[in-house]
Amino acid sequence: VTGEDEILAGLRDMLAGITGRPGLAAAPPPTALLGPDGAGLDSLTGTLLLTEVQHRFGVDVAAEDLSLDSLATLGTLAAFIAARLPG
Amino acid sequence: VIKCVVWDIDNTLLTGTYLESGEQLPAPDAGLVEVARELDRRGIVHALASKNPPEAAAYVARVTQLPFAAAECGWGRKSEAVTRIIDGLGIGADTVAFVDDDLMERAEVAAGLPGVLVLSPEDAAEAPDWPDFRPAVLTDEGRRRGRLYAQRRLRQEEARAFGGSRDDFLRQAGTRVQIRPAVAADLPRLHELSVRTHQFTTAGGPVSEAGLAAWLSSGRYRLITARLSDRFGDDGLVGGVLADTGEPDTGEGTAAAAAGSWPAGPAGSWTVPLLVMSCRAMGRGVLDALLAALCQQAAAAGATQLRVRCRVTPRNVPLRLALAAAGLRAAAAGRPAGAEPVLFTRSLSGVLPAIPDWADVTGAAGGRP
Repeated sequence: VTGEDEILAGLRDMLAGITGRPGLAAAPPPTALLGPDGAGLDSLTGTLLLTEVQHRFGVDVAAEDLSLDSLATLGTLAAFIAARLPG
Repeated sequence: VIKCVVWDIDNTLLTGTYLESGEQLPAPDAGLVEVARELDRRGIVHALASKNPPEAAAYVARVTQLPFAAAECGWGRKSEAVTRIIDGLGIGADTVAFVDDDLMERAEVAAGLPGVLVLSPEDAAEAPDWPDFRPAVLTDEGRRRGRLYAQRRLRQEEARAFGGSRDDFLRQAGTRVQIRPAVAADLPRLHELSVRTHQFTTAGGPVSEAGLAAWLSSGRYRLITARLSDRFGDDGLVGGVLADTGEPDTGEGTAAAAAGSWPAGPAGSWTVPLLVMSCRAMGRGVLDALLAALCQQAAAAGATQLRVRCRVTPRNVPLRLALAAAGLRAAAAGRPAGAEPVLFTRSLSGVLPAIPDWADVTGAAGGRP
């Protein structure tokens, strides 16, 4: 069973890889994901993250969360995934 | 309609095998290169997928003088190479054709990517006559599309090596987003965007030039365009947004009223029935700038709420990400429901999204804010 800490670790690796910013591999849970502050994801890098999340955790965030509120911070996304892990 | 042709190299674009040719490298296939050039003139872009070292792609680009938007060289499955090309260009599999002389490779791509049009070189030679390869509208941006995608490839290679934040890369690349009220000359390109765009559109389908013209002539609507350029190249008009201010109509208003088919918002709200952006502009700060400018113009005009009507599809997730980043939220939470457009709203009081420093915004004509 994957715990929230493992999900957080997985998301940090994805963020660092997608943005090319190694510093994000140590981002704390309150780090904002969208917009100019924090991880600074945009529509391109955000889509890549959601695709990787679906691939790795089997959770289709875009299909489950209309407003994408789960992308507020790294922590809210990890909690959203944890609550929906299959099996 | 086909937007991109992915070509094999050996015995397809070349009249031989790159690695087995010794000192004398194989010549390009003159017939297919001429076909590719004709498709390029129609705004269809080209890519390479080859079981060869990357030098083979560089050789083909040199001897054919064609602009390639992407090149995948390696020994993995061709269906995976084509998938990476599709993802990188931000287009749908059903807008891609794949040309390979090898029957097994064609079968592998056809099985792995059922949407892709799979062709032998003999089929491809006749492609210019097929309706699939004839775009309905062709604008200046469309004719230059091949070059624009080749510039995009250079930009992406530099962005990958950059290491800083996206915003810092956009500044370093000299990005300029110009936001202006639309004029009549912009309408063919806005129509073309509504036809071609699936990832960045709130509409379910094309919007006619006549409809756009009716909105443009009405005092009630704002039609705003975004142009994009940086030191890699000038992408021209890449996006547009239509806003219904809800104000009483002026001038030629009857045509405009007939063209609109959405419920008006409550007093004090601006409603956006149409927001489109070229997928080529993805990741370059255009939607951020356009949505920020829209929020500020609406607030300056006294509106208290911005509403965006958006059809939610599996394809337009990138657009929903841009809406979320601009603070727009769906009225209902949870799963997207059905084919009906969803209303995304945000308040215009308090802190509005900032217009990025690479954007330059001019308000509506006639001295409106």
